[in-house]
Formats: sequence, C-alpha cells, structure tokens
Amino acid sequence: MSEKKQQVSRRQFLNYTLTGVGGFMAAGMLAPMLRMAVDPVLKTSSHGDLANVSLSVDDITDEPQRVDWKIDQVDGWYESEVTKTAWVYKDENDEILAFSPICKHLGCFVSWEGSEDFPDEFYCPCHGGRYYKDGTNVPGTPPLAPLDQFEQKVEDGMLFLGEAKEQGEA
Amino acid sequence: MLQKIYDWIDDRIDITPIWRDIADHEVPEHVNPAHHFSAFVYCFGGLTFFVVVIQILSGMFLTMYYVPDIENAWKSVYYLQTEVAHGQIVRGMHHWGASVTVVMLLLHTLRVFFQGVYKKPRELNWMVGVLIFFIILGLGFTGYLLPWDNKAFFATQVGLDIAQQVPFIGEQLKTLLAGDPEIIGAQTLTRFFAIHVFFLPGALFALLAAHFILIRKQGISGPL
Amino acid sequence: MHKGKGMKFVGDSRISAEKKPNIPKDYSEYPGRTEAFWPNFLLKEWLVGAVFLVGFLCLTLAHPAPLEGMADPGDAAYIPLPDWYFLFLYELLKYNFASGPYIIMGILVLPGLAFGALLLAPFLDKGPGRRPQQRPVAVGMMMLGLASVIWLTYESASAVDWEARAEENKPVAEADVEIDEEDPGFAIYENSCMQCHGDDLSGGAAAPSLIGTEHTADEIADIAQNGIGDMPPDQFSGSDEELEQLVDFIVSVNEEAE
Repeated sequence: MSEKKQQVSRRQFLNYTLTGVGGFMAAGMLAPMLRMAVDPVLKTSSHGDLANVSLSVDDITDEPQRVDWKIDQVDGWYESEVTKTAWVYKDENDEILAFSPICKHLGCFVSWEGSEDFPDEFYCPCHGGRYYKDGTNVPGTPPLAPLDQFEQKVEDGMLFLGEAKEQGEA
Repeated sequence: MLQKIYDWIDDRIDITPIWRDIADHEVPEHVNPAHHFSAFVYCFGGLTFFVVVIQILSGMFLTMYYVPDIENAWKSVYYLQTEVAHGQIVRGMHHWGASVTVVMLLLHTLRVFFQGVYKKPRELNWMVGVLIFFIILGLGFTGYLLPWDNKAFFATQVGLDIAQQVPFIGEQLKTLLAGDPEIIGAQTLTRFFAIHVFFLPGALFALLAAHFILIRKQGISGPL
Repeated sequence: MHKGKGMKFVGDSRISAEKKPNIPKDYSEYPGRTEAFWPNFLLKEWLVGAVFLVGFLCLTLAHPAPLEGMADPGDAAYIPLPDWYFLFLYELLKYNFASGPYIIMGILVLPGLAFGALLLAPFLDKGPGRRPQQRPVAVGMMMLGLASVIWLTYESASAVDWEARAEENKPVAEADVEIDEEDPGFAIYENSCMQCHGDDLSGGAAAPSLIGTEHTADEIADIAQNGIGDMPPDQFSGSDEELEQLVDFIVSVNEEAE
C-alpha cells in the first residue's frame, strides 16, 4: 500500500470524498433556504389590472391635468391602499397621453408648468429637470430619459390606467 | 494563485499550526465506528452541533420574512408558509429542528453521563454543556411565541404565570420577560424576539466555543 | 518549536518568522488503530451527518410545521399546551404536592433540585470510578429523574387528542367567500346554523368553520340532524327538501372557497 505508486493517494481520495459529502450536506441544507430567499426575484409580477381613475374621456383637454386614483396594493402580508398620480391630456391627434409624474433623474415629483419660467413644460423642483409636453426630456437638464407613460384603455367613456412603462416600451 | 493568497495570509497571522493541529490530531480507536459499531454513541454531540447549525441558518433566512409585531407576525408567518416557495420547508426545518436539537442534546448528555465523563479533569466542560442545555431550552421557550398563534400565545401565558409564582421576585421577573405587568402583547413579542434572536444565540456561541476548545484541549475521554 | 532568545518575528509582531510547513502528518505517525481527524475520521462523521440530514429533510417534507389561528387573547375556550419538551413540567404542576400552596415545590424546588444536581454532577459524584456500576447513587438518581420525566411527558401527552386539536385550531384561510344570501339554503342556514357557525360560515367560539370542511354532502346532512362531537342533535328541523337545499348551499360555498 505504498502511496507513491498510486495515482490518487488514499489521503487525496478521502479528501475528495470528504469535500463531496460536505458539499452534499451544505447543498441539502441551503437549497430550500436560498430558494426561499430569492423567491421575490423569481415571482412574476401579478400586476396588470387597469384601474378606473374616475375621469371621463370627455373631460380630458389638451392641457395636462393631474389625476389621482387609488389602487389596492398587496405587499407580501401587508395590504394597503396607495394613491397614484398621472398627468393626462389629449394630443393633436386626439390621443390620450398619461405621463407618470416621477422625474427620471432622481425620482422627484414633476408638475406641469411647475415653474413660471418654463411655460408649456413639465418641471421638476429638485434639480430643475424639464420635459416637453410630449414627455421628452429637455436636453441639457438633469433627466436623461423621457417621462414614463401609463398603460391605458378607454371603456364606457372612462379612462383606465395601469402600470407606468418606460417610453418606447409602452 | 490560491497558494499565494494562503501564503500571504499565513505570513501575517500564522494560521498553519492552528488548523493543522485540528486536522492532524489523533482520533482514538474506541470512538471510531469503523472499529466498534457501538461507537456511534459518540456521534450524538456532533449531530447536535449539526442541527444547531441548521437552526442558525434557517433562523437567519426566516427573519427575511418575519416581523415581530402582534399585528403582522402571524400574517407574515402565514404568508411565508403559504405564498413563498420553499417557505414551508424552511419553517419546517426550524420547527422540527428545535425538537431534534432537544432529542440529540438529551442523547448526548445521557451518553456523557453514563460513561462518567464529567469526572476530573472534565468537570468544567460538563457544566458548560449543562448551561448549553439550559440555553437551548430557553431558545425553545422564546421561539414558541414568535408565530403568534393561539398555541404560542397561551403557552407563553402559562409560562409567564409560572414565572410570576416565584417568591419575592416573581412579579418583577414576569414584567421583565413580558415587558408589561399585565399584558402579554406587543412588548412581550419584541422582547421574546430579541431574546430568541440575539441574546440567547450570543450566549450559545460563547458556550459552544468554550465547549469545543475544552474538548480539543482535554481530548476525548478514554474507553470505559 | 523554537522559543525564547534568537526567535525571529514578522516585523514588530508576535508572529514567528519561521514557517511551519503545511504538510499533513504521515499516516505512519498514527499509533495503533488511531487515525487522523481530517480527512479519515471526519469523513465517517459527515457520512453519518448526511444520512441524518436526509432523514431530517424527509421529516420536514412529510410534516409541515403546524400553524394555528392567529392569537386571540379573548379565546377563553382554548386549552394551552407547551411544546413537548416542557410537557413534563406542565404535568408536574397538576399534582397536589406541586400546586396550590405547594406551588413553590413544583416550580422551584423540584426542577431546581433536578437541574441543579445535573449541573453540579461532577461535585456530587466525586468517586474515581467511571463505570455505571461503580457509582450506583448517581446512576440511580439519573434513572429516576429520566423515568419520571418520561412518565410525566407520557401522562401529559396521552391525555391530549392531538389530531382533533390540530383540526380544531387550523388557521382559517382568509378567502373572500361571497355568500349568496338569495340562495334558498341560506334562509335555512340562517335559522338553523348561523347562531353558532357565524353569518359567514367561518365558525365562532362554540363551533368550527364550515368553510374547508372535509365532510361529504351526506355527512353534512347527517350532522345537521344528529350532531357531532359537542354539537347537539336536532339542530336542523325541516323537510328533506329543505335539508337538501341547506347541504347544497354549504357545499356550494365550499366549492367557491377553493
């Protein structure tokens, strides 16, 4: 039983087996725990229902107006009502546009004509970010992307809004 | 590459002798199940430690979903158990692991007792071990309340009533544990959570370290 | 190892500059049938550990951790029960010599003596002999303690109907069940059952939830007339047709809840 003649020595063999058994135990122990920990990442979003925002299509003008509505939010075991906000108007082609008020720079709240210096633009008070009426960011101001647009549909003359999607995607 | 990193560290803190001592120490024949099948009784201690490791890991992962708050504790456990993938398994591991820990610990204690291992020079390690036993029972008692279900609540109420019966300091003892002299509620739950997750595990780690260092220093007791 | 004068250190630290080579001890250095901890012995331990883990995971998969309904401090009907490893203490307090005026006996003296003796065993049993037959007192006390703990636990556990208990305390799923109050069965339910089983069938202090019941339609009809467990017979009195409507109603609510 000279160790030198064998290609894998007894000690090496035992070491490999030991590592294997140790790996099996670690995997058996940790697999369910890790699966549980990463569960939120793997869960597909169940959102997607469009909510009635209680705004008649006839009341939408070519001037952006602020719309607030409430949705039921389920956060794990905690259920609550959250308020969502959108800026809604009709463009030249009579199509309804609904923009998210969340600034694409650092997430402040954007207002239509929020500054007297910049009429006909969305204005963000935090860092002076500006967007044109079609949601495009004004070059040279902090935001790097156009405002998000809400999924929308019109049913029975009422406006329904869903998730805010990045421009181009919506 | 790995060798270089190892050498770099070894050069600074000289770790080779520490772990070579652990890796190369002689294991006597009488504890080796390959030679004597009855030596499996020596596995109880190691298995207890293994379950404790499972408890620590599963407990760490469970706190990702659990909230120690009377409004939400039960809901979060229910959510974890019904909605989260494998949540039921991990909670099951922690729940059954508690029972298995007690069983293995009992077997280990009995093995040590009937072999008379606590005699000189191992008195200290026996006492450390009994303290570990108490800590484990404390972990069982405090952990029982955390899901905030009926079973948890009423068992804890009984436990606290028992504490209250202690002469002279009973009232104070109960208030200290429950956080309120009358109510078993929000403050009790946060207290039990803190004790279960920080205080007792802290003590457990210290005692386990002492237990293992003493074993390594004194060696395994000889055959009967 | 080199000690004292002439010893070289790394920098100004206490770390020796002379490195111990990282080579395992040769197997020839293990006398008799001793063996190295790593990897020989640890492999055996870990094999036992792996088998143990598989068994443990099987237990976990076969029996999900129980969870009862959310704590309701006002539930006066609930009979508290500790985890099984505290049952012996719980049972002990039922005895006359350990309760009432002698409660100190049950909560302090007896457990204190037992656990104190366990903690101080090395000082109570000081003889040199390690074999059990060389220390009859210590072993005898341990056997006595062990037997009483096992017996107390058994006494306590055998008095409990564990399955009924688990069934009774199952958490009620918060399913939003819409109760069709136009259903002809609802009117009958209202008259015969609602007082105990609640206006949404979710049960109450005196009766379990009807949502999630495992009884079949025939069994429900039978229970409504003849009762079950604590439920007295003749709760329902009416025609067979009405009974059928009532059962259909309960079954339909259950189907909706699933």
